Amino acid sequence: MPARLNPPAAPNPLTALAAAVAAAAITTAVSSWAVSLAVALACAMLAVRSGVAGRLAPAAAVILAPFWLSLLVMHGLFFPEGRTVLADWGAARVTAEGLGFALDMGARTAAYVMVFLLFSFTVRVPDLVAVMAARRVPPQFGYVLASTLTLAPAISRKLARIRQAQESRGLVLGGGPLRRLAAARLQMVPLVLSLIEDAGERAQALDARGFNGSRTRTSYRDVPDTAAQRAFRAVALLLAAAAVALRLSGQWPELPGFPLQGFAMLWPGGVPG
Amino acid sequence: MRSVALLEARIEAFSYHGEDASVLHDVEVVAAPGTLTAVLGGSGSGKSTLGRLLAGWLSGGNSGQFKGSLHLRTSDLRASDLSDSGRYAAPGDGGPLVFHGTPDDPRIDAALWSDQVGFVPQDAAALLSTVGSTVAEELAFGLENRGMDRTLMHAEVLRAAESAGLTGLLERDPATLSGGELRRLAVACSAMTRPGVLVLDEPLGSLDAAGSASVRALVRRLLDAGTAVVVLGQAVDDLAMSATRWLVLDGGTVTARGTPGELAGSPALLQSGVVVPAPADDGSGLRCRTVDRQLAAAGPGTENPAAAVLELDRLSFGYPAGRGKTGPGGLGDLSLAVAAGQVVAVTGPNGAGKSTLLRHLNGLLRPMRGAVRIEGKDIAGIPTGRVADRVGLLFQHPRDQLFERTVLREVLFGLERKVGAAAEAAARAALAAVGLGDQLAAHPHELPASRQRLLALATVLAREPVLIALDEPTVGLDRHGLERLDEALGAAAERGAAVVMVTHELAYARATAHRVLELRDGTLREV
Amino acid sequence: MSQQSRTLPAPGQAAVRNRRLLEILGAVSIAATFIFLVLTQPADITNGLAGGSTLVALGGFLLGAILLIIGVLPTLPTSTLVLIPVALVLNIALGQIMGSTGLPFYFDAIGTVLIAVLAGPAAGAATGALSSVVWSFINPTVLPFAAGAALIGFLAGLAARYGLFRRFYLAPVAGFVTGILAGVVSAPIAAFVFGGTSGVGTGAIVSAFRAMGDTLLAAITKQALISDPMDKAIVFAVVAILAYALPRRTTLQFAFVRRFNVLAGKKREAPDA
Repeated sequence: MPARLNPPAAPNPLTALAAAVAAAAITTAVSSWAVSLAVALACAMLAVRSGVAGRLAPAAAVILAPFWLSLLVMHGLFFPEGRTVLADWGAARVTAEGLGFALDMGARTAAYVMVFLLFSFTVRVPDLVAVMAARRVPPQFGYVLASTLTLAPAISRKLARIRQAQESRGLVLGGGPLRRLAAARLQMVPLVLSLIEDAGERAQALDARGFNGSRTRTSYRDVPDTAAQRAFRAVALLLAAAAVALRLSGQWPELPGFPLQGFAMLWPGGVPG
Repeated sequence: MRSVALLEARIEAFSYHGEDASVLHDVEVVAAPGTLTAVLGGSGSGKSTLGRLLAGWLSGGNSGQFKGSLHLRTSDLRASDLSDSGRYAAPGDGGPLVFHGTPDDPRIDAALWSDQVGFVPQDAAALLSTVGSTVAEELAFGLENRGMDRTLMHAEVLRAAESAGLTGLLERDPATLSGGELRRLAVACSAMTRPGVLVLDEPLGSLDAAGSASVRALVRRLLDAGTAVVVLGQAVDDLAMSATRWLVLDGGTVTARGTPGELAGSPALLQSGVVVPAPADDGSGLRCRTVDRQLAAAGPGTENPAAAVLELDRLSFGYPAGRGKTGPGGLGDLSLAVAAGQVVAVTGPNGAGKSTLLRHLNGLLRPMRGAVRIEGKDIAGIPTGRVADRVGLLFQHPRDQLFERTVLREVLFGLERKVGAAAEAAARAALAAVGLGDQLAAHPHELPASRQRLLALATVLAREPVLIALDEPTVGLDRHGLERLDEALGAAAERGAAVVMVTHELAYARATAHRVLELRDGTLREV
Repeated sequence: MSQQSRTLPAPGQAAVRNRRLLEILGAVSIAATFIFLVLTQPADITNGLAGGSTLVALGGFLLGAILLIIGVLPTLPTSTLVLIPVALVLNIALGQIMGSTGLPFYFDAIGTVLIAVLAGPAAGAATGALSSVVWSFINPTVLPFAAGAALIGFLAGLAARYGLFRRFYLAPVAGFVTGILAGVVSAPIAAFVFGGTSGVGTGAIVSAFRAMGDTLLAAITKQALISDPMDKAIVFAVVAILAYALPRRTTLQFAFVRRFNVLAGKKREAPDA
């Protein structure tokens, strides 16, 4: 049965995780907006190929759009360290360094978000939990991860039920913020209460079923792994470690197209204001 | 039979932390192999606490104080024990475990205890780990924790699934199971380690006929295999009828014990809140009837026969099932008129759309076509919270609608806005009507389930709605509760309120309602 | 739990020592990272990219959070463990209710603080860190803030331990102080990993301080000192309301609540009486 659950095409979750961690670490170490954007683009293409682009795109947009806007206002207009002034309106000064910094940070965060969203949207959580248990990660960690993902839809159903029951009792939702706050409190009390009571029950059930970490667990789910994947993981993590060590030691080779300078060159002479 | 008892429990007293009164006192339970013991008691009789205590869920001082003893003997079922037997220091057969309610009491290791005493709580879903993504993994969870080899584990899961009739569901997500399937999965999870004793709390609760038949069959198989089964329940149902012995629990202690033949009709049973089926000559109705059908039917309608409190006018509704199709449980061109003082019951199989219909009555769901009129006025566009002034809708889960700190405050909530200074008197009257007049200061969530439902009913009654709509009103109510419900509905109908209830219990519907309708394929017809 | 089951072998001294060591290492890692970042930041930020600082911030804080999780999780009783997934969903779900009220608060630590009040500082810290880790499956940008979230849970647990939840007016005060510390610890992450804050509103505040010539870290820290204490004061007050709305039977199930008499009016059940 597990063999049927895991067609050989699916990579081991550890392989995907190692790839994501390595990509994020190397991108950070390299610190170049071009590399960051390339990584983000590559993730987008992989997402399209694995069929998760439809879910990933809105999730990423919700995170990145306000962040980019915030960066643009923050550094685009106010960057006291900036020397190359492009425009000056009193307190607000547009500087090339500020825009460059915003571009760098925006691109790096985009890469980081895309890499990890791609991982979390493609990984099978039960598989991930199973391999972590096999690697002697405390089973409680896998429990928290899997249980949260199971409980989320159940809790939102419960909340909808509470809302309906209370509306049927004459609770009118809406009105001013204070009334809404009061209504929210009325919903939270039964929600939190029943969640804590359910959890108390579940704790005793888990204890009774032997989930106390006093014995080594085995796993029903068999997640296939291959020598090639093991080798890939080792190489990816070694590369990441090397990149990080190089950056931290201060010996990072200066690339010819150093980002800030490259950006400033778009405005030769620099001052249209 | 009979072989020596597997579990002997003597409970001198048990009380929860922060409460002075004991929930259980002077109770003795003995479970022998292959026997079915039914512990019958009304809501608040302490039977769920008893189940937990037997299961080893309450010892250890975290929940309360326990004085008494538990004596467990290893079952023959576990002769071919799968785990290392050297660890059974306490539960095995080292004589009884004695508890004095002090900190140096023995602390039961729930995992080792459950090897020999399995327990399924009333809410079967609580037993599931929430981490098994399939039924098979959920079954395997207990074995994974015991470190069983994977090949052996697969074989055990197949065996357990087969005996519980879950073989076809092994790859399903547990969240998608029906009530009966979920109950069987929970029983199978508890029975996974082949315990000698199995304690089941209300195993048939809120199941429809097909679901409860499948659970009964599973219990029968376990009994045949030599398991000692203890069932806790508040109704004399088919499972209780087939029991070897009954214990009647009332007020936290055993008031009668004996075979079903000896105890059926005994004063102790009748005094307890246990729901007892009516004698065969009275059709299949329940015994506790106070609404007189003729009287109630004659009263209203004579004054103003034309005025319908509720009018459903060619109602149509469909749940979207993706890709523009309409899912099951929809309503098609449904019409209904309910007059003041009339009680209408709607029955039908699970998933027929009974609850969908009920949610239209106060605007929680809005019809795609057609209209809902209350006292002649269309409720379209009026928010549910306002419609609630005239329509009281009660759901199955009372806990969802209770949010105040005391019973009285719960009923008072929002009442002043409606009736002004008379609110307190109205609240007290409504509470007295459902039998909660002496519980005004209690925390709603600490009431037993049956009383929580009655409290929710009181919150509706106090507002004197013209239409009372009830979703499965009998579920979870013990006999006292059913009597209170009947009295309250009778009084409301007399006052001129219309009542619409949805129930899967045809017998109850027949006994209570003036009209019984069946909802099938989206339309109503008389039964 | 103070007592071990008679039928359970007591965990070996070595295992206990190892876990304690992990917790200490985790705390040291977080503290050392913070000190390093504060000491080295002035030179670093004007050099344009904070590649090295980013790696230190990410690595140090994440390592600390993970060590804390691994150290604390296996020591938690099951009754606490099952609450963690509920708390994580609450962190998100209650945030959504608040979102629907249109009020300008995030409330994403209510679950964490609730656990801390019911089960103590260690459970609170683990919940906070896990909250960030699990949440990062949907929003990867919260992952680097795991250390700050752990600190919130830890401080909330300490506040409960020393009776600050016994008086209703003390809870928001404790929240205010927690917010100050948590804000200061989280600011370097916002500065060095993301180069700014994610909200447009918070971004405006940072911009204002930048316009006055502050360094990025100083500006973000000042912004955090404006937003976080207020938010946490409200969160602590909400949790106090919730805790007092729960029935006694429910709260007294928790040994931490019983032993330290966390909630007023809930009579102490001396286990040794």
